[in-house]
Amino acid sequence: MRKLLTLTVLAMLTVLSTGCATMFGQDKQKVVYHINYNDEKQLNAALGNVKNHINAIGKDNIDVKVVMHGNGVDLLKTANTDLDMQQKVIGLKKDGVAFEVCNNTLVNKKINYKNDLFDVSEKDIVPSGVAEVATLQQKGYVYIKP
Amino acid sequence: MSQEKRFSDEFLNAFVDNQVTAEEKSQAFIEIGQDEALNRQVCELRKLHDLVQLAYREPPAPPARITSGSTSRHARLRFGVAASVLLTLGIVLGSQIRMPATAPSVTAVPAAANLQAARLAPPTKPVQPKAAATEVVTDHVVSQQAATAIPAAETAAVPAPVIARNAFPDNTTTKVLIHLARDDVDQLSQALDDIEGLLKHYRETRQNARLEVVVNGGGLELVRTDTSAFAGRIQRLQREYDNLTFAACQNTIDRLAREQGIVVRLLPGVITIDSGMAEIMRRQNQGWTYLQV
Repeated sequence: MRKLLTLTVLAMLTVLSTGCATMFGQDKQKVVYHINYNDEKQLNAALGNVKNHINAIGKDNIDVKVVMHGNGVDLLKTANTDLDMQQKVIGLKKDGVAFEVCNNTLVNKKINYKNDLFDVSEKDIVPSGVAEVATLQQKGYVYIKP
Repeated sequence: MSQEKRFSDEFLNAFVDNQVTAEEKSQAFIEIGQDEALNRQVCELRKLHDLVQLAYREPPAPPARITSGSTSRHARLRFGVAASVLLTLGIVLGSQIRMPATAPSVTAVPAAANLQAARLAPPTKPVQPKAAATEVVTDHVVSQQAATAIPAAETAAVPAPVIARNAFPDNTTTKVLIHLARDDVDQLSQALDDIEGLLKHYRETRQNARLEVVVNGGGLELVRTDTSAFAGRIQRLQREYDNLTFAACQNTIDRLAREQGIVVRLLPGVITIDSGMAEIMRRQNQGWTYLQV
């Protein structure tokens, strides 16, 4: 009988927590920005898009991930030397934007993320940038290619 | 019409099934390349062939649990009570959650619903209490918008129509459409790197995946025999990965013929689709993810 009670309470808690999670989790807009080019004009425009997007709906209402692979990784390479680009990245990170880097690209292009890229740590590395974009979409992220 | 006499339906079927001699095959490839109608016909046959193969792939795993005789009575009762409590809670919560959730992001919903449906897909015939519990939980996510009219108690019936929307109700979990619309050689080369990397990633992580590369506009050059800089590589990829399809836009092919008098010949194994754009919309509606590289 006691077992039954514990079981019931546990089950109730599970349902309640799931219910709450769906209630509050729904409000945030989830977006993945896909970057695989290194044209500086285009990169600046893309970061501008992200900033405007956040401004438009408020940083607390949005979850943005910027996924970079191939030439797109040059964004953080440029940010290492170009202070203007660096400021943009810092600003967006403050707004909660996650910058994700493709490990395949790091390997293929022999990039050392600690020295060559701006402010990248292990948690920012994903095994495959393309797969990450697909996975995020499956998790409900909206795809934008600026 | 003369081709139809040259190639009987039986022959085309044998061709699609790879049951013809190498000589016949190469002859057929040449003819097919030159004839649009024939190309379409073969394309349709191949699609049918693929669908049939998909349909007969491994069926979903049978419920793993074997009902044990001795403990069953008590356990069943206990679980039964637990499940009914969950169901009741589900109904209450479901009706409460529905109200505030009227206007959240619209785009995320179909994907989430699909995922939920996919997770529930394997039919569990003997009612397992655990399964009952998860159905109630996931029902919140699915039902709050998708099935507003259906009471939570009838959860078992909810996912079915969602699955039915999917054209490939097999155990494929990841479906990715890659769109190539530009003829920049560097970009196409990088795109092929990405495609190969993705296929490798899915193979290494043992994920069931299908990839469709849709080419239109300038991207068509990638799969034309006279313009492709990567013919060998594409054929190698097709050989190595049977879950990869290259699909060329018929609208673009027609436009090239109309405006520039070019008779497009496609690399072997490349199928045609009526319209690249329509295909992109269709696939996204079927739960595919979209990527432009």
